[in-house]
Amino acid sequence: MMSFAWATLALTGVAFAMAGGLGGEVPGTMLRAAMDAVSLAIRLAGGFAFWSGLMAIVEDSGLARSLARLLAKPLSRLFPGVPMAGEAGQAITMNLTANILGLGNAATPMGLKAMRLLGGEARDAVATDAMCLFLVLNASSVQLLPTSVIALRAASGSAEPASILLPTLIATTISTVVGVAACILLTRRGRHA
Amino acid sequence: MPNAMPVLIGLVIAYGLIRRVPLYDAFVRGAKQGLGVAVDVLPFLVAMLPVIALMEASGAMAFLVRFLGPVLTALGIPAETLPLMLLRPLSGSASLAMLERTLTLVGPDSYAGRVASTLMGSSETIFYTAALYLGAAGVRRSRHAIPAAILAWLAGSIAAGWVCRIF
Repeated sequence: MMSFAWATLALTGVAFAMAGGLGGEVPGTMLRAAMDAVSLAIRLAGGFAFWSGLMAIVEDSGLARSLARLLAKPLSRLFPGVPMAGEAGQAITMNLTANILGLGNAATPMGLKAMRLLGGEARDAVATDAMCLFLVLNASSVQLLPTSVIALRAASGSAEPASILLPTLIATTISTVVGVAACILLTRRGRHA
Repeated sequence: MPNAMPVLIGLVIAYGLIRRVPLYDAFVRGAKQGLGVAVDVLPFLVAMLPVIALMEASGAMAFLVRFLGPVLTALGIPAETLPLMLLRPLSGSASLAMLERTLTLVGPDSYAGRVASTLMGSSETIFYTAALYLGAAGVRRSRHAIPAAILAWLAGSIAAGWVCRIF
């Protein structure tokens, strides 16, 4: 899918440049952007390292475990058929906790494990209600701190890189609530049909 | 709100102190991981930024924004964020590259720049995540999962446009 998007962007750009008589500028434009990409990555590295360092403290201080305990009750409501103490339930809790804290490296393996365990009960490669809801939770961001956005804003010379914190929290909450609601409504409709 | 970040950073460090975490070692270990992330992202940035620059320099981007922009504007989302919105569900690193271009063009602290930042932080790479997760479980029929995820993304995007007007 990304190959297709990338090729579309590149070919559209080339076609427009040639149609507009700008063909001669194409190599220069692209190479300058490639060099900019390297300097951007270097500027971003500082912000990434800083946030990742703070998040390591969060990880080691056991905040993740407290958060997981806090999540257990609401999650058992959302996933009625999945015992939260079981292996699948544990994987779901740990994945969402890691997502909320922005620990992407920890979230994905746990998410895949949860999906595979939930899939054990699926018939004929059809996603169960729990699998759909879990996927929607993962596909609508639940991250509390948009650290890479803050790092990028700082790299772009923002006077207040963290000023988007509250708007992001509100937007992310609305998005997740709508996703869960849509999931539940569509599940019900599917059952009556 | 300007104090939210310093308070948060202070809380994290204070909580770590109370729980007797070896703060300095933990921070350095995490920072090393963060540097690795920047290195991992770099090839994607090198792939995406040149084709985005080409789209801009050739006028293709302006063409796209002129024709599809009004749809966003009608929803209360600034038209300048259109390229970011189109890339966001596909790839995290590609949309990070797009966010950088958008912020450079409109300014990170402008209304459009703040909406773009909020869009980026409040959504996920829907299609990539779905492909990965469904693939891992061997699922072929995902039923309502994708429509619900797209609805969530739309709601978050519209919310971003409105919330940035208030705050």
